[in-house]
Amino acid sequence: MTGALSGATIDVARPAPESGGRPGRVRRQKPRNTLTPGAGLGLGIAMLWFSLLVLVPLSAIVATAAAGGWENYVNVLQDPQTWNALKLTVSQAALVTVINVFMGTVIAWVLVRDKFPGKAVMNVIIDIPFALPTVVAGLVLLALYGPNSPIGVHWAFTSKSVALALAFVTLPFVVRAVQPVLEELEADVEEAAASLGANRWTIFRRILLPSLFPAIAAGAALSFARAISEYGSLVLLSGNRPNETEVASVRMLSFIENGSYASAAAIASVMLAVALFVIVVLDIVQRRVSRRG
Amino acid sequence: MSIDITGVRKTYGDFVALDDINLTIPKGQLTALLGPSGGGKSTLLRVIAGLETADTGTVTIEGTDATKLPPQKRNVGFVFQHYAVFKHMTVAKNVAFGMEIRKKPKAEIVARVDELLRLVHLSQFSHRLPSQLSGGQRQRMALARALAVEPTVLLLDEPFGALDAKVRKELRDWLRRLHDEVHVTTVFVTHDQEEAMEVADEIVVINEGRVEQVGTPDQLYDEPANDFVMGFLGETTRLNGALVRPHDIHISLSPQLAGASEGVVSRVLRVGFEVRITVLTDDGEEVGVILTRTHARQLGVEEGVRVWVTPVSGATTVPTMAANAG
Repeated sequence: MTGALSGATIDVARPAPESGGRPGRVRRQKPRNTLTPGAGLGLGIAMLWFSLLVLVPLSAIVATAAAGGWENYVNVLQDPQTWNALKLTVSQAALVTVINVFMGTVIAWVLVRDKFPGKAVMNVIIDIPFALPTVVAGLVLLALYGPNSPIGVHWAFTSKSVALALAFVTLPFVVRAVQPVLEELEADVEEAAASLGANRWTIFRRILLPSLFPAIAAGAALSFARAISEYGSLVLLSGNRPNETEVASVRMLSFIENGSYASAAAIASVMLAVALFVIVVLDIVQRRVSRRG
Repeated sequence: MSIDITGVRKTYGDFVALDDINLTIPKGQLTALLGPSGGGKSTLLRVIAGLETADTGTVTIEGTDATKLPPQKRNVGFVFQHYAVFKHMTVAKNVAFGMEIRKKPKAEIVARVDELLRLVHLSQFSHRLPSQLSGGQRQRMALARALAVEPTVLLLDEPFGALDAKVRKELRDWLRRLHDEVHVTTVFVTHDQEEAMEVADEIVVINEGRVEQVGTPDQLYDEPANDFVMGFLGETTRLNGALVRPHDIHISLSPQLAGASEGVVSRVLRVGFEVRITVLTDDGEEVGVILTRTHARQLGVEEGVRVWVTPVSGATTVPTMAANAG
C-alpha cells in the first residue's frame, strides 16, 4: 500500500508449500520407516493382536464363502428370503443412521449448550442403550411397543420394530462423537461471525457444521456398522418373520443351524463389503466437507 | 463524537464488572482502554460490540442508539485475543465472510479481499488455511476480516496478548501506521501501559469497573489524576509520603537542596544503560532511584554511602492514600 507499511519486518513471505512438482522423488528420499526398536516391538504386538482377533477370522470367513465358489454366492443372493433380509438390514440401518445424524446432533447440542435440571442424569442415561445387553433392550422395547403396550402402539413384529430397535441401540454413537467437539468449539469464533453480520442459522451452517461434520460422520459410520450387525434386540422385538422382519444376522443364524456354513459365510462377506463401503464413503465425504469453506 | 456511553452498569451476580461508566470516544482516533486484568475493560468493549448487554445505560454509535441492537446490526469490527479464525476456510474466505453475508457482488468481494490482504501483507497466503499461518499473521487476517465490512468502529480485545514480545512490538507499530491510513475509529483493550502509550491517541484508564482518567498519553503520564493512574503508567517510588517517578529524583552525596531526605544506599543494581539504586532514608522509607550509568559513575554512588534525595523541580508527584490519611 505505502512505503511506510511495506517497510515492516512482518511481511516476510515464506514460499508456499510445493504442490505438484515431483513429489515422488521427495518421498523416496525419506527413510522407509522411522521405527525405533521399541516402537517396532509395539507395532509387532499391535499387529499380532489385531491379526488374531480381526484379520485372520475375517479372512477365514471370506475363504469359507469363496470355497463354495461364485455359484454359492449367486445361489444365496438369488434366494428371495436372503435378498429381502439383506435389503431390510441395509435400508433400516441407513434410515436409522440418518435419524441419528439429526437427533444425535440435536441431543449433543442440548447437552452442551443448554442448562436445565436433570442434565447430568440425561448425560449418563444416553449411554444406557449402548451399555444394556441387547436382549434386554429388546425386552424393554417389547414392554412398551409389544402386544401389551400400555400406550397402545403395537409395533412389535412389524418392519417398524426393526428401525425402532436399531434406533434404540445406536442412539449414543452420534451424540458421543459430536459432544466433545461441540464442547471444544470456541465461543469467540461464533461471536466473530455474529459481529460480521451472520445470523444464528448462518453461523450454524457455515461455521459450526463444518467443524462438527467429521464427528457427525464418524458417529454415523459407527451407528451404521452397529445397526447392520444388530441381532439381540431384534430377536425378541421383530419376530423374525421371513421376508418381512428377518434381518441378515438372523438369516445367517438359520443357515448355520441348517449346517450351511458356506451360505452363512457368503452373507457375512456381503455384509462385510457393505460395512467397508459405507465407512470408506463417509470418510471421503468427511474429508471433502471439512475442507470446504 | 463516535461512541457515547452513558450510565453503563454490568454485574455478574455479586461482581460489579462495570459501575456507571460515562465515556465519549472520539471519531477517527485510536483509543486504548487500559487497566489491570479483571478491571472491566474487556466487558466494556464487548458491551460496545453488543456481545454483552449492559444492565442499565445506553450505547450510542455514530448517533444511532445501539443499546438494544444485536451484534449483527451494529456494524462494528471485532478482533479477538485468540484470533477466532474460521479454521475450515482459507484466508481469503475468512476475509470475504462478512461481505458474503451482506450479499455483495462476487467481483466486488474478490477485489476488496485482494486489497485488504495487500493492506495486511497476506496476499501470498490467500489460499492457505489459518492453521498454516503464524499467530501474528492470523491476527492480521482477523483484522482484515473485521475491516472488510467497513465497520463504523473497530474494536480490538487484547489483540496482541497471545503473541510473543517481538511480534507484539512489530504489530503494535504496524497497527499505528495502519490506523493512520484507514482512519476508522478504533478502540483497543490492553493491560500493557507501554502498548497503550505507544499506540493510542487517547487512553481511558479503567480500574474496578470505573473510569479513573481519560487523556492523551502525555496528560496521563504528566498529570495523573490519582495514585492509581500514576502507579499504572510507568514506574513509581515513594518519597516523603508521595508517589514520584524514580528517574525524577535528585540524588547527591551532600545536602545540596533544601528539604532533601537523608539516607543510606542499600542496593545498587545495573540493568543495561541504567542504574537502579535503593536508598533507605532515615525516616524508614525505601526510595528507588534510576540514574544513567554515566551519571551514577560521576556521582560515585556505592552501597553504604550516605546520600540526600529529593524530587527534582517539576517532577510529577501524587500524594498517596496513606499520606492523605496521615
